[in-house]
Amino acid sequence: MRLLKLARSILKLDAPSVEDRIKRFIKDYVRKSGAKGVVLGVSGGLDSSTTAAIASLSLGSEKVLGISMPEAETHSVKHLEHIALLAEKFGFHLQTLDISPTLRAYYKTLPIYRETDKFSRGNLKARVRMVYLYYYANNLDRLVCGSSDKSETMMGYFTKWGDVAADISPLMDLYKTQVKQLALHIGVPKEIVDKPPTPALWPGQLAEEELGVKYDILDLILYGLEHFVTPEKIATQLNLTTEFVKSIRQRWLDAEHKRRLPLTTKLSYRTVGADFRLPYG
Amino acid sequence: MSNTVNVALAQTSSVIGDKRHNVKMMRKQVANARRKGANLVVFPELSLTGYVTRDITYSLAEPIPGPSTHLLEETAKKEGVHLIFGMMERSDKVSAVVYNAAVLLGPDGLIGKYRKMHLPTHSVFEEKRYYRLGYEAPIFQTDIGKFGIMICYDVFFPEIARLLRLKGAQLIICISASPAVRRKFFEALTVARAIENTSFLAYVNLVGIEDGLQFWGGSRLIAPNGSVIAQAKYDEEDLALGSIDYTDLERVEAFVPVLRDLRPELFDCLKEQAEKL
Repeated sequence: MRLLKLARSILKLDAPSVEDRIKRFIKDYVRKSGAKGVVLGVSGGLDSSTTAAIASLSLGSEKVLGISMPEAETHSVKHLEHIALLAEKFGFHLQTLDISPTLRAYYKTLPIYRETDKFSRGNLKARVRMVYLYYYANNLDRLVCGSSDKSETMMGYFTKWGDVAADISPLMDLYKTQVKQLALHIGVPKEIVDKPPTPALWPGQLAEEELGVKYDILDLILYGLEHFVTPEKIATQLNLTTEFVKSIRQRWLDAEHKRRLPLTTKLSYRTVGADFRLPYG
Repeated sequence: MSNTVNVALAQTSSVIGDKRHNVKMMRKQVANARRKGANLVVFPELSLTGYVTRDITYSLAEPIPGPSTHLLEETAKKEGVHLIFGMMERSDKVSAVVYNAAVLLGPDGLIGKYRKMHLPTHSVFEEKRYYRLGYEAPIFQTDIGKFGIMICYDVFFPEIARLLRLKGAQLIICISASPAVRRKFFEALTVARAIENTSFLAYVNLVGIEDGLQFWGGSRLIAPNGSVIAQAKYDEEDLALGSIDYTDLERVEAFVPVLRDLRPELFDCLKEQAEKL
């Protein structure tokens, strides 16, 4: 039997063990930091729902505040219903804040704002949500718990200093298809798990369409890259073109600037982000 | 010398950089173990300081003997036990030379130390960045047996355990700071090292979370036939005790006579091939 065969089975989680490890990690970090709990953004999607659920199971729901931040352009009754369903099931506190007026204030005061620039507007939404989350975290003496997964993080499919901004990201070492397994294991409602993933930065936005690949395939490509398998071998195993696998690899490499502290040039003895290596957590 | 020894696997979690707290914690565990009849108490790798210390390693390292070994010597004397723990050792000649070391203390004070010979520097491990390699694998004759010590990644290299056994070690002690994704390796290798050398092996792993790494615990005391005499819990602090009887070595040595059947000429071939790798 080949040890590294890129098939769905290779991404199968030992869900009970992963659940335990993530719960232990959240609890340990919150305790060591001295925070009173966590705040997290809830969109009604898979990742944020799973994060809210597992944080509640880890810390106790009274220490988890989910903040739903809808806005006019992408408003979805279905997502809001799913958020309510989740909060009801896992018992965490829920706060809903319509960020539309804040966004309108930005649009109005930005001299270079153009309605056709949906990319900048989308990122602004993610960053405004980050501002709200950190306000609550500061005010309540809590941490911001992020919900980025490994597939998005490797692909750079997130807003820099936006949705990825957090104190801890408990799901960041799980591919999207693994988050699904964990979600089902801990009891996230199936209608949430089965929804097509969307960052919901503009209407009709779908992650798999934008990425140009289904997560089932993407995760196997990324798993291969993680394990130092060459693009040629990944392509052969998955019956894809080498060019396509190389394009995914390039996207992963190009996004490193989004995953690190800002780069500086080395000028002194020890440098932040380079050889200043300190313990953490 | 008594043929039986009660070994306590003190599976602890350390606070990074807080030696005062960690010494206090170790003292408490030694007292607990002593109450349960332990003659030997073993703590994990770098239990004095925590494992992921990065650049503060330099300020945490101490000579051996030094302030922390003195504090724990008092404990060993007071409790009348032998104890082994991990710490960063600073060279008395060059202050930036630091070793990942294990210290053996007895009721009469410091007995000896072992400096880790294989320093993992891959994946999340960066030990060669901070530590100098050890060059010796000593054994220690005590009134509760002949011990050999190794540290964590050393267990992946059969040479150390073999060397310790050939020097006469009856009990090999492996202290460790192994994160969870590597559990299967350690569970296989610790048993293998005991069987292939017909020796007792005490494996003591850290628990707790440092820098996102979850140390899995699972410390165990293994008999020369590979059976597990005592097993600590996974992922939680624990104090597991097991008793070993050195006379068991004779039966196992006769049943699987690996030491009789050694082929020393292969060691020359190994050296030659390893150099050409």
